[in-house]
Amino acid sequence: MRILCLGLLAVIVMAVSGCGYNAIQRQDEQVKADWSEVVNQYQRRADLVPNLVNTVKGFASQERSVLIGVTEARARVGSVQATPELLNDPQAFARFESAQAQLSSSLSKLLVVSEAYPQLKSDANFRDLQAQLEGTENRIAVARNRYIKAVQDYNTTVRSFPSNLTASVFGYKEKPNFSVTNEAEIARPPQVDFNTAPAPASGAAN
Amino acid sequence: MNLLKLAGTWLFVLSAFLSSGAGAQAPIPALTTHVTDVTGTLADAQRASLEQTLQAFEAKKGSQISVLMVPTTAPETIEQYSLRVVEQWKLGRKNIDDGVLLIIAKEDRTLRIEVGYGLEGALTDATSSRIINESIVPRFKQGDYYGGVAAGVDSIMRVVDGEPLPPPDQRASGPAQLAHYLPVLFVLTLVAGGVLRVLLGRLPGAVVTGGAVALVAWMLSGALFIAAVAGVIALAFTLLGSGLGAVAGARVIGGQPGRFGGDSGRTIFRGGGGGFGGGGASGRW
Repeated sequence: MRILCLGLLAVIVMAVSGCGYNAIQRQDEQVKADWSEVVNQYQRRADLVPNLVNTVKGFASQERSVLIGVTEARARVGSVQATPELLNDPQAFARFESAQAQLSSSLSKLLVVSEAYPQLKSDANFRDLQAQLEGTENRIAVARNRYIKAVQDYNTTVRSFPSNLTASVFGYKEKPNFSVTNEAEIARPPQVDFNTAPAPASGAAN
Repeated sequence: MNLLKLAGTWLFVLSAFLSSGAGAQAPIPALTTHVTDVTGTLADAQRASLEQTLQAFEAKKGSQISVLMVPTTAPETIEQYSLRVVEQWKLGRKNIDDGVLLIIAKEDRTLRIEVGYGLEGALTDATSSRIINESIVPRFKQGDYYGGVAAGVDSIMRVVDGEPLPPPDQRASGPAQLAHYLPVLFVLTLVAGGVLRVLLGRLPGAVVTGGAVALVAWMLSGALFIAAVAGVIALAFTLLGSGLGAVAGARVIGGQPGRFGGDSGRTIFRGGGGGFGGGGASGRW
């Protein structure tokens, strides 16, 4: 009797691990870890913003609209809670994405504007901040890449047979992934402007 | 007809995508030395001197600093390329993540310092950026590549040196040390097993051999379980056959067969398994 029970237990254990339960657990944890890294790096960027704004303000206070844009975008980022539960809610995920994208674009606007102030550009503090910002943007890119890969693995497991059965029994759903943030920009053909008569519509690509 | 045309277009698009998308990345050279110069910019003596400096630093501090000069990173940016390099090379010690890569793309006129997780606190983005812009770039602008690299490496070493890190491995820990003794143990048990079996007879000889192997394995590995398994295996094999028990017994405590005596001499430089997360700074000249 006991042997029978043990045998049954062994069969169950093997069945559970054989149908992808453990793989789902492992990949789910990996996704969470990679997501934490993404949030961590975004937080790092958000923490840089006040310093950056203050430094730029000291040299280029007339760029009010740009500075206010950055500050507002920073505030909006802070209002979106980036909890792990966010991963199971595509809408909240999209909100998070759009808030971060807004901050990205307003920060790059700020850096473009600052090009016009030689004094600001040669300021040691600003240069350090700029280096930190660049480094953080790069870290964000790396973290996002790793997250994308982790989600890809996870979603493949959740959707493929037979682990999809396990996933549906235990309620594991696909997780949202990052999309290309500047989709619209990429889709638009690059415009070269030589300050002459506008070129005819660029329909060269088939 | 229309369908055929459509299919043709698809095929064309697909092939264009495949040829441009996949496999078009710049190759990553194999890691064999601290200084890897694909462009042939550095003279042999210069390369050797840098190599020696970095080797000495690794022996003293444990951190792995490496220099890579490539012609170009196209089509990727230097950030993407250098991350691929460090993910493949795995500079720095495992779980300490104290690797640094100074990468220079000569024709692109870009360079980058890629910093491992464990050194991000010391070699911050701002510090890396300063090293690039104040030590390296001015020399590169004058065409003094060796001077730039040497100055950069020097600054990096000084920053890393100030960071309290675990002391360098005397490569005397755990399985590495065990692997050193494995051949000895193997020969010893082979001989002893044979002799004892002849002297004492099959069963007592096997028991004594098993016990001896277990004892030695215990002394070497410090783990009672491993010792017991090694002893039992040695016993069984001595009992059943020739001195083969020793081989199997020795294998168990080594953990990884085929790796004994592996990295003796250490002429080939290898990454220690450190992780990177995109920290560091880039610059151009």
